[in-house]
Amino acid sequence: MLNALDISTSALVAQRTRLNAVSGNIANMSSLTDETGKPNPYKAREVVFQTDDTMSLSGASGVKVAEIKSDNADPLYRYQPNHPLAIKEGEWEGYVAYPNIDLTTQMVDALESTRAYEANVGVMEITKNLSRETLTILA
Amino acid sequence: MQGIFGGTPIAALEHTLTFAQRRHELLAGNLANLDTPGYQSRDLDIGEFQNALAESINSANRPMSSATSPYTRDDLFDGPRKATEQVVFHDGSDVSLEHQVTELAKNQHLHGLAITTMRSQFALLRAAITEKA
Repeated sequence: MLNALDISTSALVAQRTRLNAVSGNIANMSSLTDETGKPNPYKAREVVFQTDDTMSLSGASGVKVAEIKSDNADPLYRYQPNHPLAIKEGEWEGYVAYPNIDLTTQMVDALESTRAYEANVGVMEITKNLSRETLTILA
Repeated sequence: MQGIFGGTPIAALEHTLTFAQRRHELLAGNLANLDTPGYQSRDLDIGEFQNALAESINSANRPMSSATSPYTRDDLFDGPRKATEQVVFHDGSDVSLEHQVTELAKNQHLHGLAITTMRSQFALLRAAITEKA
């Protein structure tokens, strides 16, 4: 029965990873350069979940983070010819590349992972109550 | 001579309780060091403890003969093993809040199980002594 706790824990870890990714996406929604300082607008990170059968005894699966993908959407171009990072030549001359992050999608993602986290905490509470009830048979 | 507690699982339960208490201390320490850079989480191996306990009960069939029981050795509690199966974060720490809290809950359950079983064993003994149920 306590195996159910492990499964819920795996979901908690996965949802927290997702919430961290969303926080990073929102924090970097105006980041124009990458970690080396080169002009390269931030790309949204997307956390991919995968079922994890290593912890199951009864056929129930846990969840794990399979990979964290970078969103390949084209950057948003804004015409700012006097900006120091404005593109010097080519089709987008005078434009600045901004991260293509949709705040609404990110906020909904954040809400969803928060609710999923709460749901799993709720399941853990039920699991603990079940085993507590089992002990009262003895007493 | 087996003594009053001979033939009861009270001694084994006592060791389970000691184990749960020691493990609780370690898990509490892990949670306290949640943000300590470089901290490696510590834990006691519950499978190893239960194997040693089962072996001792089977071999002696008398958990009270602690002089020969292998599970009373102190080294079972002295060797908090470093958990290596966890991901190491960028600050070198590997404490995962969710995992630690879940292990705390499981450990609490083990403790409750041992306490409840022990209480019912004592109730049986009391019933035998006072000759009333």
